[in-house]
Amino acid sequence: MSQLVTTQSIKQTLLKIITNLNKKHDYQFNVTTSNGFSINCRFKEVENIEYHNDTGMVVTVFNDYKKGIASTNDLSSASIEKTIAKAENISKNTQPDEYQGLPESNFTLSTSKNLGIFYPKDLKTDDMASIAKTCEEEAFNFDKRIVNSEGATFSAANNEHMILNTKEAFGSFKSTDYSLSCITLAEENKLMERDYWYSSARDYNKLETAKQIGIKAAKRTISRLGAKTISTRSCPVIFSPEMASSLIGSFLSAISGPAIYKKSSFLLEKLNQRIFPEFINIKEKPHLADGSGTKPYDCDGVLTIEKDIIQNGTLNTYLLDTYSSRKLNMKCTGNGVITNITMEPDLPCPSNLIETLEDGILITEMMGSGANILTGDYSRGAFGYLIKNGKIEHPVTEITVASNLLKMFENIKSIGNDFDLRNNIRTGSILIDNITIGGTT
Amino acid sequence: MSYIQDFILNNHDLTDEKLNKVLSKAYSSKIDFADIYFEHTNVESWTIEDSIVKNGTSSIDGGVGIRSVIGDKSGLAYSNTFSYSDLAEAANMARSIIKSGENKTAKIGKPIKFKKLYDTSSPIGLTDDKDKVNFLKDIDQYIRQKEPMVEQVIVTLAASHSSILILNTDGINAFDERPLVRFSVMVVLKKGKRRERGSSGGGGRFAYKEIIDTKFGYKFADEALRQATVNLEALDSKAGTMTVVLGSGWPGILLHEAIGHGLEGDFNRKKTSAFSGLIGKKVASSQCTIVDDGTISKRRGSLSIDDEGCETQNTMLIEKGILRGYMQDKLNAQLMKTKSTGNGRRESYAYLPIPRMTNTFMLPGQYHNNEIIESVKQGIYAVNFSGGQVDITNGQFVFTASEAYMIRDGRISSPIKGVTLIGNGPEVLKKVSMVGNDLKLDDGVGTCGKDGQNVPVGVGQPTLKIDEITVGGTRV
Repeated sequence: MSQLVTTQSIKQTLLKIITNLNKKHDYQFNVTTSNGFSINCRFKEVENIEYHNDTGMVVTVFNDYKKGIASTNDLSSASIEKTIAKAENISKNTQPDEYQGLPESNFTLSTSKNLGIFYPKDLKTDDMASIAKTCEEEAFNFDKRIVNSEGATFSAANNEHMILNTKEAFGSFKSTDYSLSCITLAEENKLMERDYWYSSARDYNKLETAKQIGIKAAKRTISRLGAKTISTRSCPVIFSPEMASSLIGSFLSAISGPAIYKKSSFLLEKLNQRIFPEFINIKEKPHLADGSGTKPYDCDGVLTIEKDIIQNGTLNTYLLDTYSSRKLNMKCTGNGVITNITMEPDLPCPSNLIETLEDGILITEMMGSGANILTGDYSRGAFGYLIKNGKIEHPVTEITVASNLLKMFENIKSIGNDFDLRNNIRTGSILIDNITIGGTT
Repeated sequence: MSYIQDFILNNHDLTDEKLNKVLSKAYSSKIDFADIYFEHTNVESWTIEDSIVKNGTSSIDGGVGIRSVIGDKSGLAYSNTFSYSDLAEAANMARSIIKSGENKTAKIGKPIKFKKLYDTSSPIGLTDDKDKVNFLKDIDQYIRQKEPMVEQVIVTLAASHSSILILNTDGINAFDERPLVRFSVMVVLKKGKRRERGSSGGGGRFAYKEIIDTKFGYKFADEALRQATVNLEALDSKAGTMTVVLGSGWPGILLHEAIGHGLEGDFNRKKTSAFSGLIGKKVASSQCTIVDDGTISKRRGSLSIDDEGCETQNTMLIEKGILRGYMQDKLNAQLMKTKSTGNGRRESYAYLPIPRMTNTFMLPGQYHNNEIIESVKQGIYAVNFSGGQVDITNGQFVFTASEAYMIRDGRISSPIKGVTLIGNGPEVLKKVSMVGNDLKLDDGVGTCGKDGQNVPVGVGQPTLKIDEITVGGTRV
């Protein structure tokens, strides 16, 4: 297969090439490599094996405040030189923008810094196939109503990232990703439902077992059977951790530098104002061991830093990359990426939010693109469960969830302790008052 | 044969004899078929923001994917480099999907000829970079001069050109070059404290000049401004079950989500679709006839050949309400004992081909657009959408309107916002009571995601009326 590119060899190649480049320009090189495999088993047989082997380099040139970007997946010297020339050519035609340029701060990092996200393991595809088979089998054995499946999939990847610029900054780090997932279908009264479960981790040994994943997938699928439509109402809603993290994701998009300087955010002019209830704190922790979002530096090569984004409900900072910080005349926060985000409420987190709810809806799936970051208007399709007296009454289908994100954030009542550690946005379930649920009757 | 022949095959001394050897390595007495997919793709994009053309990007992605298929099993390996030994190793890995089997020799066939649906030259080199940049500046100026409430204008011009070569053990030897151009405009208007967005765009498999040298750019700019202006006045919408009239063109997303995905061969072979086993059954009102047509010249969703070397076709999916057929790739067609419909597509060499839509649309009916609106006492007229999604197993689909109006007593009244439609695929088309005579295809901006693979697609429909569908909104 493609030659295994090491950051060491590519660094040497780049350093050589750099000596011949136009000294009046600034250059940045981002290199990523990833290799691994994924194996899908369905009905006790291997259905697909895919071997992955990806490399890529992005060259950014700043030519008197004019920017050009070119990328290639061929990392030979000749191809890199061609790609640089292309970026230079583009920069001749873009227009000057005084805020463009490499970041000020220099740094040198290396693979020696232990981030706790690199756990290489030599895995045999045959062994992984049998784990995937077990996973699917456990799902089928769990309940007779599990009648079909899209199979169970195991995947593994080794990744490496490197950044180097002509202001002598250099950084690189390695990481691994492992995951095991299972998608099952259940049938009752000729109606089918599908659901899934997955585990993902930086360390293979921290994955949930095949049995746990298979059974969870089956349980979740079975629980959807017999879904009913309900009438339109306004009521409290619990968003499962997966859905809660997508709400927090919308919040993060709205405070990102580009959304702010493009005036495309419903959180414009909200800095230092309260947007969540007082008991809510949201932090960014870029260097968490095992974190799925862990990164030592952002895409411009600025070191990532820990920060309080929301403190006692108040917005402390926007998330700014180099360009947007200059444009807004604020300090760069190293947010050319978003790393790990953690929800840290001051109130105790109930272990089961459902039990705290007399009458409402639990939402476990949302569909469609109805989160408007410009206005905060929120309107999406959903699947969930009707809750009465602290218990799930029955699954509900064909409902819509609508409100405004600002109102939703204000109306958060509590956070559950069922934190989803797979996601880079780590939150438990979120209970929000006064959401409009559209129904059929 | 352009880039692939000159720079990939010739440079790496990949003679027919060596390619035969690679193909044979991926093949065996137990393997149904194997294929090699060479790809070289060039992408560029130019964006103006704050009246400055601040971003220009250019990227090259090239590689070769080798696949071995037996029954419902597939092995895939790929390489970004093209030496004989890289290809041979990838072939061995692909074939590892099956442990046993005698070696079998394969021979690549003669290049096949097919009807070309688009000019195969690369749009990227045909137009001078300066002209692309000037065009963006012109559109930006035009919008800002026309509308004083403008707060932000972002205009993007982008193109790609892919060369692909498909060699398989059935003797397919197919070479295609695929241009694709996309233009998009987004404006934010501010009135008082309120900000709203409008966006528009278009494109297809043609050269930049079809956008730059025509009035199209201005047409899309006007359209984005119009939508943003409408949205500035939009009121909160009411939630519940309602009659909904969908406009012609882009609202055809309904068909793509509600039934299109459910009719893809893989889901039906695995019986995981809400439409499994319904061929010959009534799944829509008799006014509905729906096709998937990959053969329309220059359309974004069109392909001369699919990614398995099969010519695309016009496939009848639903005829007067009766389910007639599924969209197939080679693997699923073989397992369902039918033929590929030319719907085998892959995002790139790094992905397995799967059944995908091309241009999916409903044929025109008999009603005039006005007649349809006038027939509604109270309901919603939805004319633009930002996207959709479907669960193909229970058939539940969602799509989100970006421009919609109330209908009161047969007349279009105030604009409303935050409208999401949710329904059940096999049920919703049975509730279509009027189909307009104004079939329109979308302007060429659609991208569909499935199994982590994105491909360009087209949708379309005439104006149509759905008697009853659940609408999301903030008012109870």
